[in-house]
Amino acid sequence: MNYLDNAATTFPKPEIVYKTMDTFYRTLGANPGRSGHKTAVAAEKEIEDTRMVVTKLFGIKNSNRFIFTFNATDAINMGIKGLLKPGDHAITTCLEHNAVSRALNGLERKNIITVTKVGNSQDCFIDPDDIKNAITFKTRLIVMAHSPNVIGTIQPIQEIGRLARENNIIFMVDAAQTAGVCEIDVNRYCIDMLAFTGHKGPLGPTGTGGLYVGELVTLEPWREGGTGFEPASLSQPEELPFKLESGTPNTVGIAGLRAGIEYVLSRGIHTIRKHEQKLTEKLINALKDDPRFILYGTTDISKKVGILSINVKGFKPAEVGAILDQSFDIAVRPGLHCAPFAHQMLGTFPDGTVRISPGLFNTEADIDQLITALDKIARDKI
Amino acid sequence: MSDRYTRQVLFYGIGNTGQKILMEKTAVLVGCGALGCTFANLLVRSGIKCLKIVDRDFIEESNLQRQSLFDEEDINKNLPKAVAAQKKLQKVNSQIQIEAIVADLNPSNIETILENANIVIDGTDNFETRFLINDYCVKHGIPWIYGACIGSIGLTMNIIPSKTPCLRCVLDTMPPFGTTETCDTAGIIAPIASMIASIQAAEALKILTENYDALNKGLVKIDLWRNEIKRLHTEEIWEKSDCVTCKHHHYEFLSKDRYSMTTALCGRNAIQILHPNGSKLDLIKLATRLGKVGEVSFNNFLLRIKIDKYEITVFPDGRSIITGTNDASLAKGLYAKYIGM
Repeated sequence: MNYLDNAATTFPKPEIVYKTMDTFYRTLGANPGRSGHKTAVAAEKEIEDTRMVVTKLFGIKNSNRFIFTFNATDAINMGIKGLLKPGDHAITTCLEHNAVSRALNGLERKNIITVTKVGNSQDCFIDPDDIKNAITFKTRLIVMAHSPNVIGTIQPIQEIGRLARENNIIFMVDAAQTAGVCEIDVNRYCIDMLAFTGHKGPLGPTGTGGLYVGELVTLEPWREGGTGFEPASLSQPEELPFKLESGTPNTVGIAGLRAGIEYVLSRGIHTIRKHEQKLTEKLINALKDDPRFILYGTTDISKKVGILSINVKGFKPAEVGAILDQSFDIAVRPGLHCAPFAHQMLGTFPDGTVRISPGLFNTEADIDQLITALDKIARDKI
Repeated sequence: MSDRYTRQVLFYGIGNTGQKILMEKTAVLVGCGALGCTFANLLVRSGIKCLKIVDRDFIEESNLQRQSLFDEEDINKNLPKAVAAQKKLQKVNSQIQIEAIVADLNPSNIETILENANIVIDGTDNFETRFLINDYCVKHGIPWIYGACIGSIGLTMNIIPSKTPCLRCVLDTMPPFGTTETCDTAGIIAPIASMIASIQAAEALKILTENYDALNKGLVKIDLWRNEIKRLHTEEIWEKSDCVTCKHHHYEFLSKDRYSMTTALCGRNAIQILHPNGSKLDLIKLATRLGKVGEVSFNNFLLRIKIDKYEITVFPDGRSIITGTNDASLAKGLYAKYIGM
């Protein structure tokens, strides 16, 4: 299988991730921070070690402000629903994943908040001026993807972060597609909340992820329960990370996440990004002047991650996906990618696009094979 | 007892005792097409305790030629087959319980839908559902009656778990998806459906009144156009059979191992149907077969056919994308009707 669907989840994982999880579960599979015996303490230490490694990845200064979640959707919900209060206004963009759009829409439909959706340019960038113009005296949150999952364009989050800080607005970034692939520094970028998932760029397993909660943010927990901390008190502890981390964590997943992030850091984010850029560029160059294909978003590789959305003229994206899968053994992701507004902006609603996303373990030969397959499909007129 | 059933009670095979037993029994009819309509009509009139009618489809004009419970008004009202049949039959016999279940029988709901059934009747149009029914009935020891029709040919067989061979003893593997003719591609004449359904109804009466000795044995095949009636003796098949279902008790359809998977494609108005074992379809042959029913186009990688507001795209491994609906059971229905499963 030529796997080119790394924006959905990276696959395969580094060998060390599999090994770490296997060893961890065979030797340290106790419930962390609950019992006090050796294995429980060791499991607790694994979690705290991972917390420290994550802080390195995002330049987080106080590791207690990093909360483990089960994925980016979980983190985004925790942030949005824990922060916004009745009467608040939030600004977002048309390029967002449903994780953001639906979390906001849910509150909007209940008349708790109001939302402004900012549009994008032809090549799929958000203009900070448009965000600025949307700010009202009620605006409490700006939430957007660092790189939208449909097109992979890298958004000017530094400028928008500064803008938010100047206006005393909380800035939340969905880093699902950029964590582990792009440099992110929550302080330098003025990010107040950063949501990410462990199973994409950080090369960890599914069921892991996290939310950074900056000093300016106080969240209401959207999940309450056992924390292993202050068990005698009836109310949820106020202290982070306990306040937001109730229930037994995905300890084995977190162990795998640490192995994944350590692997990313050892290879170097810059190296990984260059590799994905090289492969995406090769693909863009092969397709961009061919009239049989339509490419979406910018083709300037310095402004995007390793994601390319295309269509083959005369075929529906789902058809192209199915042919690539069964006739060529190539995995890509056709459809709307859980981002219907982005496709409306691109003019590709409701069929969507074929999204190709090479990862660290793809080679140039994988891209060559895909190019040949796409050519064969496009040539076989129907 | 009212006069309603006197003629049936007078019949030597049933009598008062038989009628009493019958009136305590529940039958489930899966599929209310040509076979199902005739069968339901006969069974409801005979006076059982309860008939459940399971069908996922809505009535179309092309059904009226042979599906005897439906009329033009039902189409105008856009009624599901199960509901239209229930309404009509309840007028025929208000003393019994008739239940309409508008659903696609599948491994997730079969345990609920077939619960309490004393017998299950096959009125389906596809092998996948038949093998699923076979799994359930063999597992729970419930008799069921296979029935199928196409063109002028009809088949039927009683399956009495642990007493007769099961469907998989006779048809070891399911024909690959997309390789079988269907009534919607090869056509059908109404009399053959009535005939097979009548045999099914007579056999159901025997089973429900516990007249096991009177049962028809083996697989019956009738061709009304060529005037042939054949019987395949199945005793020997059963003795030799190493059947996964009734000898080894591996229920591959009930456990979903061999059952097709339907997926709603992310946000689109389309359903994808996948088969665990795949198929090897000849798209040229399929195009010839489907050319009679709709606008077909194909190349080496796929075949598209437009039917009303739907488009079915079929790939060589039998997988399919049905565009124009988000309803998985409707998509499966279209696939069973036109491509064959």
